[in-house]
Amino acid sequence: MQVLLIEDDTALAEALTRSLKHEGFTVNPLASGNQAITSVKIELPDIVILDLGLPDIDGTEVLKEIRKHSADLPVLVLTARTSLDDKVKGLDLGADDYLAKPFEVDELMARLRVFERRSSTLKHAGLSIGEVTIDSASHQVIVSGEQIEFSRREFMLLKALMENSGRVQTRDSLESKLYSWGEEVASNTIEVHIHHLRKKLPSNFIKTLRGIGYIVKPI
Amino acid sequence: MKSIRVYLLLALLAIITLVTFVSLLQGYQSSISKAQQLFDERLQNMAEIIATANQSVEPQISNGFIHSQTVFFQIWHNDLSLLARSKNAPNVLLTDIDSATGFKDVNFAKYRWRTYVLRDEILQRWIITAERTDIRYTLAENVVLASIVPIVLAIPIAAFIIWLAIGLGLKPLRNLTTQLSHKQVDDLSPVEIKDTPEELTQLVSTTNDLLTRLNTAFIREQQFSADAAHELRTPISSLKVQLHNLQADNDNKSSLQPLAKGIDRMGQVIEQILSLYRHSPDQAMLQHERLELTTIAQQVIAEQYDLIADKKQKISLSNTTTCFVDGDQFALETLIQNLIVNASKYTPKKGEISVTISVEGDQLRLSVEDSGPGIAEQYHQRVFERFYRIHGDRHDSNTLGCGLGLAIVKHITLMHNADISLAESASLGGLKVDILFPQNKEGSDV
Repeated sequence: MQVLLIEDDTALAEALTRSLKHEGFTVNPLASGNQAITSVKIELPDIVILDLGLPDIDGTEVLKEIRKHSADLPVLVLTARTSLDDKVKGLDLGADDYLAKPFEVDELMARLRVFERRSSTLKHAGLSIGEVTIDSASHQVIVSGEQIEFSRREFMLLKALMENSGRVQTRDSLESKLYSWGEEVASNTIEVHIHHLRKKLPSNFIKTLRGIGYIVKPI
Repeated sequence: MKSIRVYLLLALLAIITLVTFVSLLQGYQSSISKAQQLFDERLQNMAEIIATANQSVEPQISNGFIHSQTVFFQIWHNDLSLLARSKNAPNVLLTDIDSATGFKDVNFAKYRWRTYVLRDEILQRWIITAERTDIRYTLAENVVLASIVPIVLAIPIAAFIIWLAIGLGLKPLRNLTTQLSHKQVDDLSPVEIKDTPEELTQLVSTTNDLLTRLNTAFIREQQFSADAAHELRTPISSLKVQLHNLQADNDNKSSLQPLAKGIDRMGQVIEQILSLYRHSPDQAMLQHERLELTTIAQQVIAEQYDLIADKKQKISLSNTTTCFVDGDQFALETLIQNLIVNASKYTPKKGEISVTISVEGDQLRLSVEDSGPGIAEQYHQRVFERFYRIHGDRHDSNTLGCGLGLAIVKHITLMHNADISLAESASLGGLKVDILFPQNKEGSDV
């Protein structure tokens, strides 16, 4: 995985580069927004880590330029600002994820792995956690070596949970992934789907946080 | 002084009354003395006319050509025999007769009389004319009264006009007060008054100067807060990443544990200070909007789940219906986050945390309960103070903290007109934090 790291703080950039390399990523660290835009135009990386506070141009401008060039390049925004406006703006401009400084390296790696899984389900279609493997291309699910039938919605739900394994998915966020805006959703729809999913999956594969949401833990 | 207007009105009326009274007194006195003079002249003239008209020295009782009860005359001979008198005059000598001609005041028939004695040397007789004194005063008083009445009647009218005039004069001041009192907390724009009167110019310019300086300070502080956040968070991130690398390279990970704790603590303190600063009621510029509390709680818990999972704690959220409040999203996130992090921090491993959102009449109740040791009642007030930690840094739970979490929570509840209270959790045995928000009911069935 080729990671483009756009961070102007040298100490942080160097340390992150080492951590990312240690985790098996190839890192291209850059310290300015303009360099980053040029670099993206020359060669598309697999993942971009973008600090919003850059010396030359604002990080949100860099994000806009990157989006003009590639619509589905995963971008993780790092920022020292935490106000909600920045968060919304970042996501509106097309950041895929958002991490506030100071962050845990494990958290950063978890989110990068979500990107990785997402791009692998896009490109290679396969994603496995424990005994469960899903194939987005053929919409097939293999549990303990056996192929099992899932409805379209159940499959999308499982995919969303597995792509984001290790992170709690609230009912609201799952609803928004499964249903388009304005579509009527009964209040217990997600519960019903989860109930059906559970019957077909190993026990405790999906953990419920009562009132909050669901999580699939990475193995 | 309760009101400048009332004060000025009363003071002006008092002055007007006093001045009027003094001038009336003066007028009364001069009217009396003028009347005296006129009446005396009349008495004297009358005596002279009688002397000229009546040349007889034989006693004669006239039928009285003067009918007035208040004026009469007597003519006495030198041997003290009464030569003539008006009908209403007595038969006795009214006043002492000495050699001199002149005026005298005497008492007679229950009244006080003014008398004039005229000596007629040729006919060897005395002519006395007399008039009742009280009549003179009545006349003089009538004259004065005629001038008092219009003035007394005019005072209420004057009061009304003065009231209006003062009101008009104080209009710019009232204008200024209204503008200042209608100012929103975050509105630091200068006040504007049309045709500022001289007396208010200084006040208005000083107020505006103050507002401008406050605004500058405000912007500077916000800028400082943003800068400080950036300048502090980035190096801490860098420290964290470097420590992570060090841990990855080092086999003896436990030796780096104190360093990790130290960095975490520093990061926490910085976050809390920035957050406390951002959420102090006098600093906050909130953007209130209609928010659904349960959604926010779900998001915050989902974000903090790693922390809870690390301690193998159980967390649940229960709510009965959709619950809308008027609030600032970021502030409410911070509020719930602080409560969840606190609950997780002070609850032992495998403990339980329960979050409940319910509707109570016009209010929304957010309760966070845990199965930790709780907080003894004597500390319930103090824990909301900045930098206060029970038992100082030797806290029983041996956890990191800086004593700002609940101070921030308190600030945020204040900004949302919410009430916070602590109690012992009936179901879990630990601490129960209760927050009552005013509910935004508008379209709550959506």
